[in-house]
Amino acid sequence: MSLLQAIIDGLLVGGVYAVISIGLTLVYGVMGIVNFAQAEFLTIGMFVAWFAWAFLGLDPVIAAPLSFAVAFAIGWVVQGQLVARVLNAPSVAQIFLTVGILIVIENGSLLLFGSQFRSVTTSYQTASLSLGPLFISVPYLIAFAMSLVCGVALWWFMRASWFGRAMRATAQNPAAARLIGIDAELMYRLAFALGVGLTAFGGAVILPYVTVYPGVGGQFVVLMFTVVVLGGLGSVAGAVVGGLAVGVIQSLSALFFPIQLQNLVLFVVFILVLAVRPQGLVGASR
Amino acid sequence: MPDKNSSGRIQLNRRAVLSGTAAYLAAPYVISSARAATPAVNVGVIMPLSGPNAQFGINSRNGVELVADEINTAGGIAELGGAKINLVVADATSTPTTAGTTAQRLIAQQDITAVLGAFASSLTLAISEVTERRDIPLLTMSFADQITGRGYRNIFQVVAKASVIGKAQFDYTAAIAQAAGAKIEKIAIMYEDTAYGTAQANGLRAGAKAANVEVVMDDAYPLGITDTTPLINKLRASGAQAVFPVSYLNDSLLIIRTMRQQKVTIPAIGGAAGYVIPDFEKGLGEFAENVLSIDTSNYDLAPELTERFRKRFGYFMVHEALEHAVCLEILVQAIKKAKSAKAEEVAAALRGAKFTGGWINGMTGGAVQFDQSGLNVLSVPLMVQWRAKDIVTVWPRDVAKSAPVWRS
Amino acid sequence: MKGRSAPCLYILAAALLPLLLDPRGYWMRVLTITLLFAAMAQAWNIVGGLANQISLGHAAFFGIGAYTSTVLLLKFGISPWLGMFAGGALGGMAALVIAIPTMRLQGHYFALATLAFGEVMRVIANVWTSLTGGPGGLSVPFVPPSFLAYSFKLLRPHAYIALAALIVVTVIFQAIRRGAMGYRLRAIRQNADAAEVIGIDTTRVKLFAAVISGALMAMLGTLYAQVAVFFDPDTVFGIAGISIRVALIAIIGGVGTAAGPILGAFFIIPLEEIMNGLLSSRAAGLSQFVFGVILIAVILWQPRGFITALDSLRARLSRKGAP
Repeated sequence: MSLLQAIIDGLLVGGVYAVISIGLTLVYGVMGIVNFAQAEFLTIGMFVAWFAWAFLGLDPVIAAPLSFAVAFAIGWVVQGQLVARVLNAPSVAQIFLTVGILIVIENGSLLLFGSQFRSVTTSYQTASLSLGPLFISVPYLIAFAMSLVCGVALWWFMRASWFGRAMRATAQNPAAARLIGIDAELMYRLAFALGVGLTAFGGAVILPYVTVYPGVGGQFVVLMFTVVVLGGLGSVAGAVVGGLAVGVIQSLSALFFPIQLQNLVLFVVFILVLAVRPQGLVGASR
Repeated sequence: MPDKNSSGRIQLNRRAVLSGTAAYLAAPYVISSARAATPAVNVGVIMPLSGPNAQFGINSRNGVELVADEINTAGGIAELGGAKINLVVADATSTPTTAGTTAQRLIAQQDITAVLGAFASSLTLAISEVTERRDIPLLTMSFADQITGRGYRNIFQVVAKASVIGKAQFDYTAAIAQAAGAKIEKIAIMYEDTAYGTAQANGLRAGAKAANVEVVMDDAYPLGITDTTPLINKLRASGAQAVFPVSYLNDSLLIIRTMRQQKVTIPAIGGAAGYVIPDFEKGLGEFAENVLSIDTSNYDLAPELTERFRKRFGYFMVHEALEHAVCLEILVQAIKKAKSAKAEEVAAALRGAKFTGGWINGMTGGAVQFDQSGLNVLSVPLMVQWRAKDIVTVWPRDVAKSAPVWRS
Repeated sequence: MKGRSAPCLYILAAALLPLLLDPRGYWMRVLTITLLFAAMAQAWNIVGGLANQISLGHAAFFGIGAYTSTVLLLKFGISPWLGMFAGGALGGMAALVIAIPTMRLQGHYFALATLAFGEVMRVIANVWTSLTGGPGGLSVPFVPPSFLAYSFKLLRPHAYIALAALIVVTVIFQAIRRGAMGYRLRAIRQNADAAEVIGIDTTRVKLFAAVISGALMAMLGTLYAQVAVFFDPDTVFGIAGISIRVALIAIIGGVGTAAGPILGAFFIIPLEEIMNGLLSSRAAGLSQFVFGVILIAVILWQPRGFITALDSLRARLSRKGAP
């Protein structure tokens, strides 16, 4: 019974890990850049949603599209002005540019918003559904549902819309894409803005149960990277599989190991998976 | 040697860079020598102003500023000819190495009489390595057992040790439960795995052992945990009658909310930190009501003093602000006693001494007495309880402002 | 190729610098930490620069070194000098252990796997309280000053030890780079498959570089422990404080070059300190914010590191000087 409960909890939490990590894998998939600042957009999304709740009375889940929009805009500018300039630089320069962006956003938030911990109170925050002897946390369920919505929307966008297909074309072969008239630079901006927007969306969705403060992104950085690499860098399906896997591993490990070691177990599994399948669970061999 | 015929652009760049760097390097010395002209007592205030502990660092700084401003407005330190207190505030950041370097910088750049800091025990320990070797007194409210356990002569801790606080967290609970007619036989301990949580958990365990109470769940969790469902699942399955979580804010909110979701209604007695700041009540609203927590001091012991903080800063005087205010008060009294602002002489005046009056009324017993290891032996932990938006001291009986409400 | 005289001049200047500073003072400490980080970045450079394996988990070795020597000192009274070599051995072994599962991983996967490994070590150090003191950290016990006991009253000897360490690591780096090993590593970097074809045992070469880098990094951990005197798992196994920082230093200066880590360290560490000194009391987060902005500006200006700016400067000057 506790096994089943642990699996359910793991899946619910994993769905959320997936939605906040999809953006990271999208950015890598299209641009080849590992964006260390991705988690900071989580913070931005959470702050936007918090202010929407505090001043407009909006439930964070409803405000999530607003978080997406703000992060999209910021990402658009950041990509155009900063990231675009290092697209041809060594990958280490790209990584550390994003580290610089991380530092700027985190401390910029501290300067702008102060260090207080802010959380929201919603009507469903402490509610849970009872399914027989099992408890299903309502905030997690809602977050999971929103993640599904988001995931499906992204999938449709990438498959069916012109922009989505153009982005995928650019990812596969930028030169060829340019030849058929796709503005690769525009695609890069779109991918980056979309990617960080998605993470911000995820941030708003988890606000009901996570407190926001300037450093909150840092709590999720390693987790996000584990999800994305485990699933396979660049693969959206990989991010989903990775997210669910991470959630379930964390949850199940609590049954057999001390909770303090939950991350240890996760990392060991992570390293072992990579040792056996260097491209990640879903990733294609490059 | 730069070629005279090199393009002017290169010359300018290099010279500009060099002179800019020189200016940067010289600046601290220029600024400090200007300050040395006025007779002021320099007190270093090293707190984490950025990073995850920023909230607590800023609260602490506010407490010190309040007292410093009061003293300066009243004319400064009479015994030193009206010398004003000059707070030299610096960010300890969240890395102990930087905290140590910051302490070193403060000491090098001006004549520091003493240092106050740094909330987090690891930062305080790093700073103390520097201050001890330079014979500069360090006053702190960090309470890891090691702080006073190394035989250092220049460290002064105004609150009880972590193990004592943890033990009190248990003992007081048992007493309160007993007074309400309930008997506790099984408890759960959960704590975030930094120095703070781990040390306090040791105290809790010792208390439970001494009282022959069974600890049916004893789990550390990683700081920054994002999902406490496994913890609460385990709690529910353990059959504990009370849970003792030692957490910062994010995890405290997660724990209380998840307990509600999972319909775990046993009493939770927090371990200070996240449980005793205004953001706790803001986050939980009605669910914060009647939550108990151990604390090292509380503002309702001296409302006539602490209300000044609320008036100025807009929130109740959290314990780290109060304790740092007390640190400054003690320091000033020691300066007056020694009639000097020299670090060694002030340290001598602090060692093994007793202090009363002023802000010290906010501490238990209305006095602070340092023993040879630098520990304040008069500080007794308090059990506090949330009532609406305030926390009220409810135990021990002789300092309680209200009777505890025990919900089992 | 530069003549041998230039590096000797730099070393001489560097050796004189500690004599000019207050032996107990702040700038001595900053210099010591700068030299130490330069050495650490140079050790990282062996895999990061020569083998092109961007490791984001080098703190794993650093922490192993710091804990090994300190625990040996605390439990058995062994001198940190000996403890340093014990730490180095353990660090090298750890490098071997990490290298085996991560050998086949490409670029970013490798980076993130090493990051995970660094975290694994941190959690272990945090949990294994009986060995490491857990999250409370360890203090290097105070012993009467003596060279054999690696205990000094002033900071200046620490600065000299750090300088010596930097020289040693740089010499090792140069030896690898210029030697047969360096040739093989370059071949692997250019095209691993082609390298295999011409008979280079890529696995053995990469392992060799990894083990040396890990061992050196661990030994530097001991130096750190003796200077800082107190440390905890978050400090010596920290992602941001150690792993990312040493990689950043090497990259800002110029990966793969001997001067890169040194330039990078002498830029980053004093810059942070100065920012901290000037700005940290004004507003919370201001000094880090400005540091981040400067970092972005520097990377945009010189994505390949300062060394490229210096090289072009030198090229321009030497062109002008030619008849």
